[in-house]
Amino acid sequence: MTTQTEKTPEIAASPSKPLISGVWMRRITALAPVWTLLALGIFFALTSQTFLRPVNLNNILSQISTLAIFATGMTFVLLTGEIDLSIAAVAALTGMISAYLFANLKVQEPIPLLVALGTGTLMGFLSGIASTRFRIPTFMSTLAMSLIAGGLTTYLSKGRTISQLPEVSVFLGSGRIGGSNGFRVLVIVAAVSLLVGYLVLKYTRFGRYVYMTGASKPAARLAGINTNVILTAVLTISGFFAGLAGVVSTGRLGSALPAAIPSFLIDTIGAVVLGGTSLNGGRGGMVQTLIGLLIYGTLRNGLDNIPSIDPLLKDVITGIVLFVALVINVLLAGRAPRDKTG
Amino acid sequence: MNAAPILQLQAISKRFGTIQALDQVDFDLYEGEIHALVGENGAGKSTLMRILSGVYTEYEGEFLLDGKPVHLHSPHDALDLGIGMIHQELSVMPELSVAENLFLGRQLTTRWGTVDWKKMHNTAEQELERLGFSHLDVRQPLGNYSLGTQQVVEVLRTIISGARVIIMDEPTSALSPAEVERLIRLIDKLRESKRSIIYISHFLEEVMRVADRVTVLRDGQKVATLNAPETNVNNLISLILGREVNATLPPAISTSNGHTLMEVNHLTADVFKDISFTINQGEVLGIYGAIGAGHFDLARALFGMYRFDTGTITVDGHRFKPNHSARYAIRHGLAFATESRRKSLLMEEAIYRNVTLPHLNRIGSLTPTQSQELKVAAPAIHMVNVQPPDPLNPVGKLSGGNQQKVAIARWLTFPPKVLVMSEPTRGMDVGAKSEVLSLLRNFRNQGYGVLVVSSEPETILTVSDRVIVMSHGHIVAHMENKDLNKDVLMRLL
Ligand SMILES: Nc1ncnc2c1ncn2[C@@H]1O[C@H](COP(=O)(O)OP(=O)(O)OP(=O)(O)O)[C@@H](O)[C@H]1O
Ligand SMILES: [Mg+2]
Repeated sequence: MTTQTEKTPEIAASPSKPLISGVWMRRITALAPVWTLLALGIFFALTSQTFLRPVNLNNILSQISTLAIFATGMTFVLLTGEIDLSIAAVAALTGMISAYLFANLKVQEPIPLLVALGTGTLMGFLSGIASTRFRIPTFMSTLAMSLIAGGLTTYLSKGRTISQLPEVSVFLGSGRIGGSNGFRVLVIVAAVSLLVGYLVLKYTRFGRYVYMTGASKPAARLAGINTNVILTAVLTISGFFAGLAGVVSTGRLGSALPAAIPSFLIDTIGAVVLGGTSLNGGRGGMVQTLIGLLIYGTLRNGLDNIPSIDPLLKDVITGIVLFVALVINVLLAGRAPRDKTG
Repeated sequence: MNAAPILQLQAISKRFGTIQALDQVDFDLYEGEIHALVGENGAGKSTLMRILSGVYTEYEGEFLLDGKPVHLHSPHDALDLGIGMIHQELSVMPELSVAENLFLGRQLTTRWGTVDWKKMHNTAEQELERLGFSHLDVRQPLGNYSLGTQQVVEVLRTIISGARVIIMDEPTSALSPAEVERLIRLIDKLRESKRSIIYISHFLEEVMRVADRVTVLRDGQKVATLNAPETNVNNLISLILGREVNATLPPAISTSNGHTLMEVNHLTADVFKDISFTINQGEVLGIYGAIGAGHFDLARALFGMYRFDTGTITVDGHRFKPNHSARYAIRHGLAFATESRRKSLLMEEAIYRNVTLPHLNRIGSLTPTQSQELKVAAPAIHMVNVQPPDPLNPVGKLSGGNQQKVAIARWLTFPPKVLVMSEPTRGMDVGAKSEVLSLLRNFRNQGYGVLVVSSEPETILTVSDRVIVMSHGHIVAHMENKDLNKDVLMRLL
């Protein structure tokens, strides 16, 4: 028969009592990302003397903060079973726009920031409309949007980096509260983003609609949910957070670059999925995303702290670990559903 | 039948968490025997068969095949030992050809390891001819054939793969009467060729026709195993339910006051043409048609889930805008439960969340809480008598019939003006069937309108005040439900 998969673990097939009951097995595997995080943490703590120092832990936090802002939006999108490939390009554009308005056109604050956020939001909205109205898969519509945003960035910047940035961007990206050793504003922005995302997904009607749309579009429609509105909304949200991340990252880098940083896209999707949010939609959430971000941050930072590793090989190692972790997570946490027709 | 049984299950027990799905069940099967398995929704029929076919590997009890104990580790094991299961939901591939479906997973290959199309087509044709289905073109995509034929192909596939024991879980619940006949003829042929069949169905008349023996399960326990000639439908019903019931509703006394609640005019799409009817307050209108008559798509169109070209829909004086959405329909007093609960329910979500999903905007501001939702959902869940009744259970863990009850409960929380239900009783046991039909009846008595769309003549005849018969997308008859019977309806198709 082809419809049914065997769900019970191998050990259960013998007539004797299974070692671990099904319920416990499920509880353990649902937490697979947490085990991954712990394992990585312990590994790096043992192999590197610098890893566990407070300064370094703080570093991890600020390294994943920009990513966290992107990931907040991406979580919404992935939960509906769609994808947004335009975030890195949109972020580059919004960062450039705010810098360009401020430096070249001398527009006063906070208008550059607002225009940047508005642009990101609008681009997400347009991808959403393209996908729902004209039924272009989000994979394609956001890819096209990515080209458009990239083109606009090049056009605006004429290929030049702008390093005269609005105060707000600098404050958000590299400001600290309470003196030069104080808490990073960027971390707070990231935490607030994740928290708002968490509350919206967990407690609001809209959040429920997002999950239901991802779990089954036909079922959601039959319950009167306008899934097109939901899809457009999540892409718009993703656009907004990409815009915010763009402005913040210029502040962090101290300049607006004329091209997107492609690793933003890969890292964001990697972190969200590592946390356990399903690419097929319907399963996951902000808590998972937070854990995924921490795994990612630990991994990247941990590799920096092992001096014997060739820095040029870091991406290869990160990629392999990402791959292995994903396979493990998919094997354990995201067990194939019994019914494959659904 | 004096030889030893080919298959014996002894004292089989199976728990799901706190639910004892099976409790010390004995079951056996002889060569060339059709053994029917009947029981209420949730009685444990599918669970028992999943153990038999290697899907569930954890259970207590003995499983003997040809007198020797076995323990299956997977459905594949089962098939190797000659046990094939046809599940409640079909598992054929509509895009693949008939021949490919017949050999799914075990294609014939040439000496070089490539697929041997010629041999596959020839073998498929021979097998089909032998079993009386020579009219099928093995090169056509299976999707071109009706659901009934697809079902038959799935049965044939199991046979061709060498199964001696074939388990059919509610094979006829989605078939038209003609297709049921064809399946029964096939089963008779299989009996002659010494195959054994376990047949699960809620249609007791059908069971009496095909079965040699009948086993009744109730609450996970075996109640009785009877020789078919020594029992009858009424006897089975009382064994299934453990009490006497009147499976039919009392004849309807008209409650309609002549006020038109819904009016459909000249509705036309690709699969239905020029459909007009009205539903009055306090009235149940039944639309009967064979599978493929276009009546299910018509129901979807009313709810904004199927695009129609021309025509109008008016509910309680409000004329729907063209190509309205489901959301719009709900807002204007129209509710709909589709014939496929798999599509309408979220299997991993809790029962109560499935019930409240269309009504969240009415339940709690922007952020409905669990207790607010439970307050709304619990009475409805109680009213349809979902078993087990815990509203926090995920829907996917309910038996088929109980899932259907959840789909109905959804529309009892905030009653619409008109309730459209496609196949309201599909997959339900006799008791639940009459429960659901009386729910619809109550709904009507309270002055709402009900539209029942079905391919089961009994359902239509039991519950409707008026009946429309559809055939090939057209209305072919429209009459009061007086002196109608199954024969009259089926002759109109
Ligand atoms: N995977 C599961 N997890 C938990 N409980 C389950 C699961 N599958 C079935 N059950 C429970 O076991 C009992 C028996 O279910 P089963 O599907 O065997 O019923 P059934 O006789 O086939 O009913 P129906 O006629 O409605 O299909 C029910 O109470 C059901 O809720
Ligand atoms: Mg069943």
